[in-house]
Amino acid sequence: MAAAVQHLSGHEAIAARYHDVDPVYGETRDLRLLGFVFFLLSDCILFSSFIFAYVYLRISAPAWPPFLNGHQLPWFDTSFAAMNSIVLFGSGVTMHFALENWKHLNKAKFNGWLIATIVLGIGFLLGQAHEYSVVGISWTGTTMGASFFTLTGMHGFHVFVGVLYLTILGLQANRGVYTGSKYFGLTAGTLYWHFVDVIWVFLFFLFYIW
Amino acid sequence: MHTGTSTTHDTHDAHDHIHPPPEGFVRKYVFSLDHKVIGFQYFFTGLLIMFIAGSFAELVRLQLTDPNGAIMSHTAYNEMFTMHGTAMVWLVLIPLVTGALGNFVMPLQIGARDVAFPWLNMASFWILPLAALILFSSMLWGGPHAGWTEYPPISLADGTAGALWCLAIFTIGISSTMTGLNFMVTIMKMRAPGMTWTRMPLFIWATFATALMNMVATVALSVAVGALFLEHVFNVPFYDAARGGSAVLYQHMFWFYSHPAVYIFIIPAFGVVSEVLPTFARKPIFGYKMIAFSSMAISILAFTVWMHHMFPSGIAPWLQLPFMILTYAIGIPTGIKIFSWMATIWGGRIHFTSSMLYALGFLITFTFGGITGVFLASVPVDLHMHGTVFVVGHFHYVVAGGAVMGFLAAIPYWYPKATGRMLNERLAQLGFWLFFIGLNGTFLPMHWLGLEGMPRRTATYAGFAKAFPDAVFWNQFETAFSFLMAASIGLLAINVIWSLRHGTLAGINPWGARTLEWTISSPPPYYNFKKIPQVFGRPYDFDQPLPYRNTDNELDEFPEFGRVLMPIPQPVGAGA
Repeated sequence: MAAAVQHLSGHEAIAARYHDVDPVYGETRDLRLLGFVFFLLSDCILFSSFIFAYVYLRISAPAWPPFLNGHQLPWFDTSFAAMNSIVLFGSGVTMHFALENWKHLNKAKFNGWLIATIVLGIGFLLGQAHEYSVVGISWTGTTMGASFFTLTGMHGFHVFVGVLYLTILGLQANRGVYTGSKYFGLTAGTLYWHFVDVIWVFLFFLFYIW
Repeated sequence: MHTGTSTTHDTHDAHDHIHPPPEGFVRKYVFSLDHKVIGFQYFFTGLLIMFIAGSFAELVRLQLTDPNGAIMSHTAYNEMFTMHGTAMVWLVLIPLVTGALGNFVMPLQIGARDVAFPWLNMASFWILPLAALILFSSMLWGGPHAGWTEYPPISLADGTAGALWCLAIFTIGISSTMTGLNFMVTIMKMRAPGMTWTRMPLFIWATFATALMNMVATVALSVAVGALFLEHVFNVPFYDAARGGSAVLYQHMFWFYSHPAVYIFIIPAFGVVSEVLPTFARKPIFGYKMIAFSSMAISILAFTVWMHHMFPSGIAPWLQLPFMILTYAIGIPTGIKIFSWMATIWGGRIHFTSSMLYALGFLITFTFGGITGVFLASVPVDLHMHGTVFVVGHFHYVVAGGAVMGFLAAIPYWYPKATGRMLNERLAQLGFWLFFIGLNGTFLPMHWLGLEGMPRRTATYAGFAKAFPDAVFWNQFETAFSFLMAASIGLLAINVIWSLRHGTLAGINPWGARTLEWTISSPPPYYNFKKIPQVFGRPYDFDQPLPYRNTDNELDEFPEFGRVLMPIPQPVGAGA
């Protein structure tokens, strides 16, 4: 069977490797994929519930941004956040290339793209830290600060966990844990990273555009 | 496990994938990965916490024997009913009906060797004692006082105890979510070959609907109590009206979970009743598809009715009518189930075993609780009765008379499969009558007391007793009958432990039931099925031969179907 795979071109070879693993592995992988998607779904509800809280508090507030001690709070800095968003979305693109290169058995390029993803993820976190230091509102003062710091903080925590997660996956990949046909961990890591990106799309719209 | 891509399907053999048995006490009984042992762990932990939470309830009842409060201070009373509700809902009912029953029965009924993620299952269980420890430790700081709902702003006065309450509920929420996820994947992916969706036993449909709600709704609760925790500890103003927050927001998020939560208790009980009634009436279940789909309909509608808990909380009047109508709509699938069960036993050969008695009792008490629920769904009636013990009566008819009765029907039914021995039938039947009479005696008078206006959650009711002198008699009556229920649960515990040694041997299929778990030995071996059976039909056609081939106790005349594997414990998201 391995010999047959060699005759196939790029994507056909990937599909053949994906479907032609031994059935025990194939079944377990399918279970884990579904389980991981359900985990992301429940995580999505975590964010949606806090987003519901934010929208509820915002539309029931008499003025937005709210007043604190007689002064209206400032709007967020959309242009800086937009640049930081590009950094995060860019890391989604690099992660996609990392996984594709792994599927094409190109380990050197995989490492390059994965390191780029991790660096961009850290860059986004540094950007968030800068944003927190200049934003001029506090977590405990108003519902604006409460929603902003809780939601973006939770998202930032997800990015931080994602950076650690991708680092571990990279180390595992270079230790030989994954092969060209068995790489579920990398798939899961990529899904997680894209999920974190997609959540940021909503947060960016809700805090910086709305 | 095979390596490389060169493995072909011919060399694959289902027997290869049964792991060696776990060795040593710790691996076997403490950190076990076996779904059956985990089911037992949930069962005994839940039962233990039920004794603690039940004794809180008895203290509450004793206090109310005197209109001025018989035994404790107002603060202690508030703490008692809060802890009773919290512990019973999150640490007893949900672990017992989803954790204990779901874990033990579900993989056996779908012909699987374990759940999809055994390690996750073990982690889900061990979070439960941790959460219990956190919750009960809050009593060292004075305990929470605001009722099991812990509405802010009142709950914000609880200080450290309130923060610990939030932490405990958040922790148990993680456990529920993981269990729900695990069961969803198991039911979707690991059914025996030939078991299509409409050939699944009805208990599996119920577990599936429950797992869906567990997975989706619990996170919303975690967010509600998580934000409350942040407000307690870091003073973040989500619910503080002075800083723009909203206490009603908490109610929205809390009930978005907690309304589905009551269906999380009750739907597994529906599943149990759907198994017990056809077995002991010796008749096919009536309306299989309607029962299955009404479970799913209830679990989906459950997410659309949460605001009926908040009619007196000042929600917009235009929102009240749709939520009232949607709440009425839930009565339709529930009614379909009740009528299907009645049609199932109609004309059957009914065997009055203890399990059947509980199931029949369930039909009476649950229907009663459901009907008073329809009363409460009506906005004007709810505004009148929301703060009265009518609500307490309704809720306990649904939960004790529905979820707990269903659970108690499951114990004598599956105990022989779990242990290999029968429960003592006489004690179990006595237990049923004690529970049934005690339940009705305790909660029925609450309905007329509530209609007369007796307030709930108050340590004294001297003013009400002056206006309605019979109240004292009825409260003492309720307290007396509540001890019958306590005696019944005590009897159950004695019976469960006594029968482990002294019960008569059960054999493979003591009830003549037809689902897959009754085709393997009792207790089942750790791998459940040596050979994975193939399924040809629904399990309820009592006039037909069993719809299975390749079962363990069958001669080897059919080839093996090596499709369902013994799940390999490993992390979900990392590793090849």
